Amino acid sequence: MEIRVITASPLSEQEKRKIEKVFADKHKGESVSFRYESDSSVIGGLLIIDGDDFYDATLRRQLGNLKSHDEPASEIIKRKCKEKGVSEFDAIHELLAEKVQGYKNERDRIKAGRVYYSGDGVIRIHGLNDVRYDELLDADGVKAIALNLEENEVGAIVLDDEDKVKAGTIVRATGNIVEVPVGEQLLGRVISPLGEPMDGLGALSASGTRPIEAPAPAIPDRGKVNSPLQTGIMAIDAMIPIGKGQRELIIGDRQTGKTSIALDTIINQKGKNVYCVYVAIGQKASTVSAFVHTLNEYDAMKYTVVVCSTARDSSPMQYIAPYAGCAIAEEFMYSGKDVLIVYDDLSKHAVAYRAMSLLLKRPPGREAYPGDIFYLHSRLLERAAKLSDQLGGGSMTALPIVETLAGDISAYVPTNIISITDGQIYLESELFNAGVRPALNVGLSVSRVGSSAQIKGMKKVSGKLRLDLSQYRELIVFTQFGSELDPVTQRMLDQGARATEMLKQDLNAPLDVEHQIILLYITMKEMLLKVPVNKISSFKKQFTDYLDANGGKFIEAIRSTGDLTMEAQIELEEFVEKFLELYNR
Amino acid sequence: MKTENKNLKTGKVIVVLGPVVDVKFEDNYMPAIYEKLLIDREDGKYVALEALQHVRAGVVRCIALQATEGVSRGMRVVSNGRTIEVPVGEEVLGRVLNVLGEPIDNMGEVKAQHRRPIHRKAPDFFEQSAATEVLETGIKVIDLIAPYARGGKIGLFGGAGVGKTVLIMELIRNVAHEQGGYSIFTGVGERSREGCEMIEDMRDSGVISNTALVFGQMNEPPGSRMRVALTGLTLAEYFRDEMNKDVLLFIDNIYRFVQAGSEVSALLGRMPSAVGYQPTLGTEVGALEERITTTKTGSITSIQAVYVPADDLTDPAPAAIFSHLDATTVLSRKVVEQGIYPAVNPLESTSRILEPRIVGEEHYRVARATQEALQRYKELQDIIAILGMDELSEEDKNIVFRARKMQRFFSQPLFVASVFTGMEGRYVPVKTTVECFREILAGNADKYPESAFYMVGDLDEVKEKAK
Repeated sequence: MEIRVITASPLSEQEKRKIEKVFADKHKGESVSFRYESDSSVIGGLLIIDGDDFYDATLRRQLGNLKSHDEPASEIIKRKCKEKGVSEFDAIHELLAEKVQGYKNERDRIKAGRVYYSGDGVIRIHGLNDVRYDELLDADGVKAIALNLEENEVGAIVLDDEDKVKAGTIVRATGNIVEVPVGEQLLGRVISPLGEPMDGLGALSASGTRPIEAPAPAIPDRGKVNSPLQTGIMAIDAMIPIGKGQRELIIGDRQTGKTSIALDTIINQKGKNVYCVYVAIGQKASTVSAFVHTLNEYDAMKYTVVVCSTARDSSPMQYIAPYAGCAIAEEFMYSGKDVLIVYDDLSKHAVAYRAMSLLLKRPPGREAYPGDIFYLHSRLLERAAKLSDQLGGGSMTALPIVETLAGDISAYVPTNIISITDGQIYLESELFNAGVRPALNVGLSVSRVGSSAQIKGMKKVSGKLRLDLSQYRELIVFTQFGSELDPVTQRMLDQGARATEMLKQDLNAPLDVEHQIILLYITMKEMLLKVPVNKISSFKKQFTDYLDANGGKFIEAIRSTGDLTMEAQIELEEFVEKFLELYNR
Repeated sequence: MKTENKNLKTGKVIVVLGPVVDVKFEDNYMPAIYEKLLIDREDGKYVALEALQHVRAGVVRCIALQATEGVSRGMRVVSNGRTIEVPVGEEVLGRVLNVLGEPIDNMGEVKAQHRRPIHRKAPDFFEQSAATEVLETGIKVIDLIAPYARGGKIGLFGGAGVGKTVLIMELIRNVAHEQGGYSIFTGVGERSREGCEMIEDMRDSGVISNTALVFGQMNEPPGSRMRVALTGLTLAEYFRDEMNKDVLLFIDNIYRFVQAGSEVSALLGRMPSAVGYQPTLGTEVGALEERITTTKTGSITSIQAVYVPADDLTDPAPAAIFSHLDATTVLSRKVVEQGIYPAVNPLESTSRILEPRIVGEEHYRVARATQEALQRYKELQDIIAILGMDELSEEDKNIVFRARKMQRFFSQPLFVASVFTGMEGRYVPVKTTVECFREILAGNADKYPESAFYMVGDLDEVKEKAK
């Protein structure tokens, strides 16, 4: 049995003798050899490694342990020096003897261990007997999370510089589950999943921290989703309305405008008293930077926190990013605020988790994802909720994004997430290329809760729009090899084409709900049949200008009542007729 | 917790692998399989475990029913030598419970006189009783094509977001509300929000007084989702066996039970089987499904939602569940795309009781003829896509037009979806359904335009809409 004794400077013979006696007493009858090493990195004090037991009385540990509640060893040593008038070494020795003698209960061991295997971001550690499941570890300045607590070892994943962790590296348990800073001071900042600032704007002064993993609100803690979260995108607000506290998936192939919808929704929250959290998972750093730039341009960073893990980050880092973002949003939610959180995107998150799981030797299932891939996302997305009034009535609305391949909405991860969220916005590249933007597939997009959160006026005008449009699309396919059409069918086709045109909308041009209601009303009343399909977009623009100039009372009426009353409807129809006369001239 | 109890055995946590925990007991005490153990987290909270495997002398491998974050090796574990037992009887009606039978509705303790262990044997062969009576649901497509049997087992299959939960809610409304009797609703691995809304809806309509709800939703660890179906089933069994009742058991979603098992299977040291599922998939499903049965003392009519992962009906989990059911209602994404709700696929849904002896000659004939017409239309679709409608024979044209009308006529406004559609729900009796389809097949509805058949109840409404 060899015992290693590591100190900053070599020990005297007398000092060595004393240590040897302590350990000879511990290992009665066994042959024990001692190896003395000098290592300036321990700074001061000494570290003794006896098999799997660590006796860490180094200054290095104390420096890293300032947060601990126990009286630091350095204090005890100082106190002993003063009380008994002994040298620093003797004080350390006395403390050590106490520790070793008092070592009857396993749980009194010092919280340290040593790496014996390190590869691909996975480390295996001897020691660390006290570590808790999911605890944050410190391997010589590199952070790791304890995931497998086995009988004689601990398996952990490294969060940052995995190349710095070598066999023999000393690992310390921090006593904390992974936490992130939270609070309003984070607004306007870009941070890493561990809460380090990435925007060069100086240190964070957060008011508190929260563990990144937390239980979702229980069933009795939840309230009903009953107020709308306006995205400013007419097609969505009308047909796939999102309520505060809802989880609505944005799904589609690459380059179909998924992030744009999230971006426009964040921009549209300006002045609406909603905080936003944007979580970038495994994104290209330049993409995130452009995103933040756009938010700044629209003055939206003021109420937004960006949590960023880029493609160069390790998979464990990408894995914790959404949980970190969620914890930040949770703090706002539990303080009674409304929060919008965007996870961009969860398919990369699933891939990162798959990489991690396979490296931890967990067996692969469908598409090589591990068995708990569903739980990975369900426990994340369930944390978004509307709280009951007793808990302050705050809400967290989540917009996770998932990228499909070649439009395959029924792949494993997309269907998993669809089965968690309260609906999905499905974007199609064919529609996108055909100029229908947002490229919303009406048939496959749905919102399961939002309609109960719509304001009355909106409900009136949008009620059957979604079903009508999906029937219209089916009808196009059926009638494209035109046999003769009866007038009813022809009218449905004409009306559908105009509604589709009406719902097209440019990027970064959110429309408020009052305008949406008026435009939808005239569409629904089939008043646009007099306008040729290719003129609808110019009609829309001119009409909106005309409305702003002459129809302020309609906007005002909807704003104050939240409804389009019968009288207002009649007046509005007259108003539109008048405009159409002007327009057609 | 009375720690002074002499019968209490204590041990220590020695391994934590996520939801799987190994415990070593003192004096080589071996807890029985399925025994309930508690980890003392030292902060006043306990984590419940269920013993699952004997690893070696004194060491037992358990599955955690609650989250294990923050558990460390060396923590104390206690056991009183009993399995998970849940309160049963009329006292649970109107209450909301979790997997351990603890109330989660903030309404205080459940004062039940009896408790039952959640692990039990399925009834013996000679106790079984066959189901031969039709259970009307008021939903046209179900009643016509794949009718449900009273006391039977019914599965609602569908991929993500095709409307399984909405349909199960509608069935609760139509069957539980209209027919009375006791119902048990078990939420397995589904959305907490839905649970929350269901409780509220049931409170509003008053049916909650005849209903017990059990939840282990998707935010909970796999152990809880793995066992909560048994908790719900145990409540139903008590009503069947001890009180001779006819019970309705709703399970949303039985697939999550299998999924939870596969999440922990590898951590329990088992080799993965096809598509990464647990090797014990078949026996796990069998042990659960065989308990859900109608006996000579009482009946359990069960309606189970079955999630179909990646829209793949050949996935081992739904495939294993299929064979246990009397009627299967398959919801499909293609139907959703056409805007037809409920999105039941009439060509894939089946029922064991669709035979003349049980549903009657007329019903049987109309149902089969409808399926034939739809099948013919499906075959003709390719021809239409290439050559156009005009190339079809008169007879085929008629079939196409009627089939399209029937497809639309299968859609129906649901009561529970009225907030989405803006339309009041419709309950259509079986008799009316059969009559309506007979008329369409006979060509007596050819004069009405296709769109009039969409989202209506019966033919009278079609006539009304066509005007």
